[in-house]
Amino acid sequence: MNRHSRSRKALGIAVASALAVTMSGCGRGDDTGRSGDAAEGAPSPGITDDSITLGITTPLSGSTAGPGTCTVAGVTAYFGAKNAAGGVEFGDGKTRTVEIEALDDTYDPQKAKANYDQLKDDVFAMTAGLGTPTNRAWREAAIADEVPQVLIMTGDPLFSDTEESPWQLGFVPKYQNEGEAFGELLAASGGDHKVAILSQNDDYGAGYVEGFKSAIEGADNIEIVDELTYEATDTSVDAQLTELAASDADVFFNAMSLVPLMVGSLQKAQQLGWKPSWFLPSNTSSPGAVLEPGGAAAYPGIYSVSFSKAPQSPAFAQDPDVVEYLAALKQYGNYPDPPAFPHCQWSWMVGATLEQAFQEMEEPTRDSFMEALRSIDGFEAPLMLPDTSVNTTEDGQPAVSTVVVQKFNGRGYDTVEAFE
Amino acid sequence: MARGMTSPASPVWQRPWARWAGWLLLVVVLAVVPLVMTEFANETLARIGVYAVAVLGLNVVMGYAGQVSLGQIFFLGLGAYITAYGVQEEWNIVLVFVLACLIPAVVGLLVALAAARLGGLAIAMVTIALPIVGVPLAKRLSDFTGGSQGMSARFADAPEGSGLFDDQWVLYVVLIIGGIVFLLTRNLVRGKYGRAFAIVKGNENVASSMGISPYRYKVLAFTIASLIGGVSGFLYMAVIQYTSPETMSFGHSIQLVAAMVIGGAASIVGSLLGGAYYVLVPQLTNLVDPSLTALLQGALLLVVLFVLPGGLVSLPRALTRGRRRSRAGRGPVAPPTTPSTTTGSGTAAEEPETERQGHA
Repeated sequence: MNRHSRSRKALGIAVASALAVTMSGCGRGDDTGRSGDAAEGAPSPGITDDSITLGITTPLSGSTAGPGTCTVAGVTAYFGAKNAAGGVEFGDGKTRTVEIEALDDTYDPQKAKANYDQLKDDVFAMTAGLGTPTNRAWREAAIADEVPQVLIMTGDPLFSDTEESPWQLGFVPKYQNEGEAFGELLAASGGDHKVAILSQNDDYGAGYVEGFKSAIEGADNIEIVDELTYEATDTSVDAQLTELAASDADVFFNAMSLVPLMVGSLQKAQQLGWKPSWFLPSNTSSPGAVLEPGGAAAYPGIYSVSFSKAPQSPAFAQDPDVVEYLAALKQYGNYPDPPAFPHCQWSWMVGATLEQAFQEMEEPTRDSFMEALRSIDGFEAPLMLPDTSVNTTEDGQPAVSTVVVQKFNGRGYDTVEAFE
Repeated sequence: MARGMTSPASPVWQRPWARWAGWLLLVVVLAVVPLVMTEFANETLARIGVYAVAVLGLNVVMGYAGQVSLGQIFFLGLGAYITAYGVQEEWNIVLVFVLACLIPAVVGLLVALAAARLGGLAIAMVTIALPIVGVPLAKRLSDFTGGSQGMSARFADAPEGSGLFDDQWVLYVVLIIGGIVFLLTRNLVRGKYGRAFAIVKGNENVASSMGISPYRYKVLAFTIASLIGGVSGFLYMAVIQYTSPETMSFGHSIQLVAAMVIGGAASIVGSLLGGAYYVLVPQLTNLVDPSLTALLQGALLLVVLFVLPGGLVSLPRALTRGRRRSRAGRGPVAPPTTPSTTTGSGTAAEEPETERQGHA
C-alpha cells in the first residue's frame, strides 16, 4: 500500500509539472504537414498531372445510409465511366483521372469533422456529402483551410451564401425554391383558390412557406385561409388537420419532411372528408412509399416538384441518359440494384457539373477551381428534366435552383404547365 | 507509454526516484507531442481526449459506483450547448467553462435525487430518458440551440503571439483540462469516496450497516459523472466547434457505454483506452471499407469482449499471467508480484491498483 500512496503523490506532482511544461512549451515546431501558405500558382493538394482526388463524407451506415450510399454511387459511377474512357480533360490542357475517397460519418457531425480532418490534405475538394448538420460541422474549418466544400446535398441556404460561405456551394434546391415553384404555378392559374398551410416548425418548414408566400405575393386570386405548424418530434398531426379541414380550403400546402406523418396526413384528411389538392415537398412525395399507402388517388391532385428524371418511370425507360446512367451505376458505382433514392441521380449530376468546372479551370489550384465552378450557367446536366439547369453564377442560390412542378398520375409524376 | 516499456520485475523501477523519472518522462512526452506530430494526429488525439473525459465520467457512476447510466451523452451535449451559447453571447470563456461544468452537474443532481431512490434497472430507465428528451428539446428551444441546424462556435484558436498552430493549441487545452479532470477523478476514486462507491456497488446493505448511505453516494457519483460530462462537452466544442441535436442522440450514449466496457470498467487507464476506442475504431473501419463500418465495429466489439472480458486495460495483466503460467510450468514459481485482490476489505476500488501493477 505504501508504494501506492507514493505513486499517487508522484502522479500529482507529475501532472502539476505537466501543466508547467505545457504552459511554457510555446516553442513552435516545424511545419509538420500543415496546409496553406502554398506558393502562388503551385498545385493544391490532391491533384497531380494525371489524377485528381475528391473526398466525400456522408452517412454510409445508420438510418440515413440509403440516400447516403447513393450520394457516393452516382458520382463514383460518373467518373468511373469517364476514367475508363481515358479521363477528363482539364482547362490547363492535361487529362486526369478522377478518384473518389468516400468515408462514412453515420450522420454524426463529430465523425464528419473527423473525416474532413483526415481527408483535407489528400483531396483536392470535398463534394456530394449528404446532411445539414454533418456539413455544417466542418464548414468553418473548410473556410479556414480554404478547402472547397461544393455541390453538397443540403437545402440549407447558408451554403449558397457566397459572403458567409466563400468555399461552399450547395447542389440541391433550397427549401424556398420548391415552395416558390408551387406558389408561382398557383398564382398563374387564374382561378380563385383558398390555401391551407401546415409546416414543420423549423428551418425546413419555414423555408417552404417563405418561398410559397413570396411567390403568391400580390396575386389576388390566392387567399391563405389558415396556417398551422407542428413539431418535427410530433407523432401525429390529427389536431392540426381537423382544424385545417374546417377552413374548407381547396389547396393544402403541406411542408412536412417526415414520411410516416405524411402518410398519416393523407389518410386522416380523407377520413375527415376534406379533399383538397395537395402540395408535397420533393423528399416526401415518393409514389411507392408515401402516395400509395396514403391513398392519394382519392384527391383531385397531388403536386410535387423535381428536377431529375426518374429512372423507374416507364416514360424514361428508353431515354439515352437513363440507359447510360443505369449501366454505369451497375458497372462503376458499386450499386447493382435500381436506385431507390433520387440522391443517386443528383450525385450523377454532381459528377457532370464537376466535369464542367474541371474543363474550365486553368490552373491546378483550388482558387482556380472555385472560380470555374462559380461560372457555370445554363448547363443541362444529364438526367435533368427539361426547363431545369445548373446555374452557379447567382449569389444566394444553390447550383440547381430551378424545379418543375409535377402532378401525380396514379403511378408516377408528369410535369404540368398549369394548375388544374 | 514510457512505463510500459520497462520490465515488470525490475527492482530499480520500484524505487521512488525511478517512478519520478518515469512520470517526468511522460509529462515531457505529452508536452512535446503536440509540437512534433502532424495536424491530423493532433486533431485525433484531441478528439480522443474529449471522449476519454466523457468515458471517465461514465466510469465514475457505472464502473466505480455500479449504477447503470445510459444518459452520459446528454451531459456532454448539454455542456457543448452551454459552451456554444456562451461563446455566441461573447461571455468570458472562464465563465463559460464554469457554467459548462455547473449546469450539467446541477441537472445531474436533480435527476439523481429522484432516480437514485429507485433501485437497479429503474435508474437505467430514467437515464435512457435523458438523451431521448434531449434531442427534441434541442430542436425545439431553437432560440438557445439553433434548432436542427445546430450551432457553430470557434473559440479555441491559438492566441496571437503564441506561435502555435490552432491544432496544437487545442490539443494543449484538451491535455491540460483533461489532465486535471483525470487527476482529480483518480484521487477521488482512490480515496474515501472511492471506497464508499465500491461498497455501494458491492452490497448496499453492507454499506448501510457501515454507516454509508447508498442513496447519498449514488447521487454523488451521478452528479460527479454529470459534471465530468459537462467538461467533456466544453472540450467537444473546443475540438469539434459545432454541436447539433445529433450530438446527443441515444445511439452515441450506448457507444459510450460500449467504449467504457471495452476500455475497462472501474479503471482510469481504461477510460483513456475507451476514448481511444470510441474515436479510432470508426476511423480504422473507414479505412478498411467505408460501406461496412457498422458491421466491422460490431465484429470488433465481440472479439474484444470474448478475448478480454476485463477490457483493453486487462491486456498487460493477461499477458503477464500467461507468461508466468508458462514459466511456472518450466521451473520454480515466480514470487507473486501482484497483490491478491482478496486481501484486505477486497473492495473494487483497489482493482485499478492491481491493474496498474500489471501495467507497470
